[in-house]
Amino acid sequence: MATTPATSRAISVEINGTTYEREVPASRLLVHFLRDDLDLTGTHVGCDTGSCGACTVLVNGQAVKSCTLLAVQADGAAVRTVEGLASEDGDLTALQQSFSDHHALQCGYCTPGMLMSATALLERNPQPSEDDVKIALQGNICRCTGYWNIIDAVVAAGKGGAA
Amino acid sequence: MTAVEIEPGTLQKGAAIGQSVPRKEDKRLVQGQGVFVDDVKRHGMGYLHFVRSPYAHAKIGSVDVSAALELPGVYGTLTGDEVAILTDPFFQISSPPGAHVKDYALAVGKVRYLGEPVVAVVAETRELARDAAELVSVDYEPLEAVVDARTALAAEAPLLHEECGTNMSWEGVYEWGDLDAAFAEADHVVKIGELHFHRFNSTPLETDGALVEYNRGVGQWTIHTNNQFPGFAGIMMGPALRVGIDKLRFVTQDIGGGFGNKITTHPQLVAACLLARKLRRAIQWTEWRTDFHQSMSHGNERWFQDTEVAVKADGTLLGFRTKAIDDAGAYLRYEPLGGVIWAQVAAGLYKWRNIRLEFTQAMTNKAPVSPNRGYSRMQQLWFTERVIDIVAQELGFDPVEIRKRNYVQPEDMPYETPNGCVYDSGDYPRVLDLALELVGYGSIEERRREAAARGKLLGVGIGSTLDSGTNNFAQSRLINPELQFSGNNEVATVKLDLFGEVIVTLGTTPQGQGHETTAAQVVADIIGCSVDQVHVRAGHDTYWNSHAGFSGTYASQFAVTGLGAVKGASDMLAGQMKQLASMVLQCAPDDIELGEGFARIKGVPEAALPFMALGAIVNMNNAGFPEDPPTLNCRYVYRPPFELPDLERKFGNLTLTYATQIHACVVEIDRETGVTEIVDYAAVDDCGTRINPRIVEGQVMGATAHAIGAALWETFAYDDEGNLLTPNFYDYHVPHALDMPPLKTAAIESPSPFTPLGTKGMGEGGGGGIHCICAAIQDALRAAGGAIVSDSHNPYHRVWELLRDPEATRANVEVVSR
Amino acid sequence: MLLREVEYVRPASVEEAIRLLAGSDGARALAGGQTLINVMKARAAAPDVLVDLADLAELRTIAFSADESLLEIGAMVTSTELASSSEVEVARPILAEVVSTIADVQVRNRGTIGGNVCVNDPTNHLPPLLSALAATFTIRGAGGERTISAGEFFVGVYMTAVGPGELLTKVSVPTRRPGTGDAMEGVTLGAHGTYIVSAAATVGPGGARVAIGCVSSVPVRATQMEGRLAAGDFSEGAVRAAAEGLGASLDPPSDVHASADYRRHLAEVSAVRAVLKAAERAKG
Repeated sequence: MATTPATSRAISVEINGTTYEREVPASRLLVHFLRDDLDLTGTHVGCDTGSCGACTVLVNGQAVKSCTLLAVQADGAAVRTVEGLASEDGDLTALQQSFSDHHALQCGYCTPGMLMSATALLERNPQPSEDDVKIALQGNICRCTGYWNIIDAVVAAGKGGAA
Repeated sequence: MTAVEIEPGTLQKGAAIGQSVPRKEDKRLVQGQGVFVDDVKRHGMGYLHFVRSPYAHAKIGSVDVSAALELPGVYGTLTGDEVAILTDPFFQISSPPGAHVKDYALAVGKVRYLGEPVVAVVAETRELARDAAELVSVDYEPLEAVVDARTALAAEAPLLHEECGTNMSWEGVYEWGDLDAAFAEADHVVKIGELHFHRFNSTPLETDGALVEYNRGVGQWTIHTNNQFPGFAGIMMGPALRVGIDKLRFVTQDIGGGFGNKITTHPQLVAACLLARKLRRAIQWTEWRTDFHQSMSHGNERWFQDTEVAVKADGTLLGFRTKAIDDAGAYLRYEPLGGVIWAQVAAGLYKWRNIRLEFTQAMTNKAPVSPNRGYSRMQQLWFTERVIDIVAQELGFDPVEIRKRNYVQPEDMPYETPNGCVYDSGDYPRVLDLALELVGYGSIEERRREAAARGKLLGVGIGSTLDSGTNNFAQSRLINPELQFSGNNEVATVKLDLFGEVIVTLGTTPQGQGHETTAAQVVADIIGCSVDQVHVRAGHDTYWNSHAGFSGTYASQFAVTGLGAVKGASDMLAGQMKQLASMVLQCAPDDIELGEGFARIKGVPEAALPFMALGAIVNMNNAGFPEDPPTLNCRYVYRPPFELPDLERKFGNLTLTYATQIHACVVEIDRETGVTEIVDYAAVDDCGTRINPRIVEGQVMGATAHAIGAALWETFAYDDEGNLLTPNFYDYHVPHALDMPPLKTAAIESPSPFTPLGTKGMGEGGGGGIHCICAAIQDALRAAGGAIVSDSHNPYHRVWELLRDPEATRANVEVVSR
Repeated sequence: MLLREVEYVRPASVEEAIRLLAGSDGARALAGGQTLINVMKARAAAPDVLVDLADLAELRTIAFSADESLLEIGAMVTSTELASSSEVEVARPILAEVVSTIADVQVRNRGTIGGNVCVNDPTNHLPPLLSALAATFTIRGAGGERTISAGEFFVGVYMTAVGPGELLTKVSVPTRRPGTGDAMEGVTLGAHGTYIVSAAATVGPGGARVAIGCVSSVPVRATQMEGRLAAGDFSEGAVRAAAEGLGASLDPPSDVHASADYRRHLAEVSAVRAVLKAAERAKG
């Protein structure tokens, strides 16, 4: 653990089941660690005030905005990103399939963040109501769809069974 | 929400056209495997950060980059002085005085808006570039700023561009019909002092960006970017960089939303190009959200002053005259085209024949505007809808009846407007009725009473709008007769590959509209195979040679121009496949039919060639033919049928198609606070033949969400010094999931007689939501003083003002009756 | 956008955290980071040392005081934890109700009660609420520990009584007694958005406490209104009459979302609505 102040740290983070050990500056945001250091570019940056949720990932099962977390804070944590949803063979989760079935994405830029927020929801609440879904996705901005199809997709994924 | 399917159009649909086929794009996008510009990396690339002006208006004294250059890891810088030497100012669309604006990739000598890029710094990491930017020292001599277009036009206003001698960029008078006769015939003249359409944009979730490489040996730039109109970018950048257009290779793949806001990035791209050449490395630039808000692509703010409307006793609208003052911001990047594009819908959905609009555009110390979803037509359509609602309220007409009385009727189609535009098809009364039914119009009075009991003012409003699509770029000559633009085009290639794959390339730059899917649907039905067998390359690449001057994705035209090109290329390919098959099977080409992946002799199913055989023959097995076989590699340029307009009368067809969207909504206003909630909403659309109904509906929903955001929350507001008060998502609130009302949609199809597939461009939406929310608020306020809604933006504080002092806006309206 | 270079340390105990905070002028405590990291991205502040409190289990507890009169909430308890706490549900459910409207799930998963009050942004949810609830704030430093009232804790915009080298360790909220009701009303920028004006009210046998947010550098107690309500008449007419003049007594800021006048008006309306709702809940 980090008990003396330092401008960079060696961290060990588990991401989608794989452990990465890297030296990172303390100033590096988790989202840039993922995108720039590890080439996991599925998680996106949409703003600079922690408002849009495009950067949402799961840290120890909870949805968080990876632009508002330092990489060093994730030391020892288990992180899941959109790259970890589908299987190695490219089999989509029921949620991902439901997004496509319901036309819940247009440009796709908010989609990884939406999927992670929705995944966290479905893991806590397998059959969410429309209101449950809106609350879970409130921190994810979309400018293309108006959210209606996204909400339908998540509700449908819930009714369909495990995500 | 519910979607109601009403009577699909009459076009004979194949297996794929007309079906809501699942999107090809989705598989990669739901796995985070899209390639957006910030995902593109190059070894040794330098990260670019712009040093931006903290002042809205200032002279630049000295610029000192030495401290920044000393920071380890900084690769180099670029200043305005260098830009002024290495490039020529950007081509100006305008005639004088706007023609004299000098616009460069970085500020030269002066800054004219807060956030204007002044110096570019490139470093090894994003963080270092950001740190180095703080070490750049710029001396500014602040000047007085002007932030209101109305005052910018006054003689004593601070001058932005000395070379222009005025802040007025362009002005023109449009007049059609006989205004004097109309006003003489009128039983009532309704006068509206001032209406205001506010400044906002669509804030696509992905900001602008580019990864630029320079190939020194051949002098070629490769620009990976999310610019949505590479044709326009090339025209701007080539001459500025003093190179031919082919030296600029634009590559896009996935774009995180455009909405018109990614058209005018050429200044930043030029800066990146210069740096790629200077520093001999790839340059990576991703715009920050705050920088986007402060400096990029605001929509046109427009006042309509001294409006007078001639009305007959029975509610027939004879005509109007008005003065439009348009705010272009600090530079003219796509302007002043906004000064003519509104004329595509000068008359709105209405039959009045006598129109006069004086258009004056001013430059101000605010972010330069660029097209924004509904570009310039939305402002005009909002104006016509405000006019009809104000006229209805003042003269006691029912808002539905007065619209139906004045709408262009279906039997009038195709309808030539007073300025020569042709509305191709549509049934506005039917679309309106559907919207009203979906929003429960029949029970409004009962709902109004129920809401009143809860302390809420309930109102219902209609927003009729047209989405005009496929520009005739000749309209630019109404702005500047010297311009040599006209018509429009788009390109597609369709080929049958070696192994029988059908490969398609487009000239467009989709940002979520599903072009790969809809193009594949059209190809599949024409060629005779499944959608899965058609592979459409993602994005745009100059090197595919699959583009022409107007290529890009903007202005609601893909379904006409893009799919027109796809259809043309597919028809060519189908013809060639039949010809080749007939050569092989020894029959006449007309005896061949294509289907299920085979070319076969009609009625002789065993005489069949799979596509793979055809592809193999032309690629690798072409000996023994008595004459050249076809190539099975077809490129088609779609050109819409346009003429040059009459510049003198400003008369001519400016757009090929007109999709209809009529929105209706119900709002409840809290009497004590002015907080406005949308409690019911319906949007009905008619874009002719729908290739993929679900994708069309998605566009309608998106347009609705943007309109709701603009109507209630989104505004680029400035203080008197030119500081933007809403520079990020804290203060520029966009709708989130909990903000959305219940939505019902429906569609009818009135095919366009003018397009290859009967489709009409759609997507922008014309701002229908803004129009209906304004109308609903005004309706709700009838029971509380009858304020007139005269602004497109009605956040809580404005609604409270309307409640508190209805007379202030009522004083804006006067009725003179015979 | 991006942070400047900074030192980071994650101490294992509160004492160590205090030592590190005292050790440098530029040391700042990092709790949930939902405000601080964004402030650092904007470079509006640039601490030299971030002292991450994540490992301090002592600050993560929710427990009743020995005599059960107070619910003691560790400063690092997140909004999500508050919203799902059975102790909060029993002792003072308004806390769960209000934190559930802060921003969004992602922010609530990280944002802490300590962070929300120590930032003391005038638009934050918890300062006016905790003022109305008569919460107390325990601060520990090298010299020892002290517990102070909300009025003493909230000092100015982004400023609290927590000094250099000190740490807020817990917030103590009185458990709700029978006949007490709480409510928070106001106007936000969109659903679950930032407050434009907020009003928190507690109504009980002792009268009412009303605190207004977004109108000053610290939450403002509507003392005149409270005085008029001391008699215990919470009918609509009485509450409206009690609120008269509240707006005029305030000097709120004007900004793009609201003029000073509009904030004055909203303050009065929100105070009335909060008191009426709290009174209604006090009955049930």
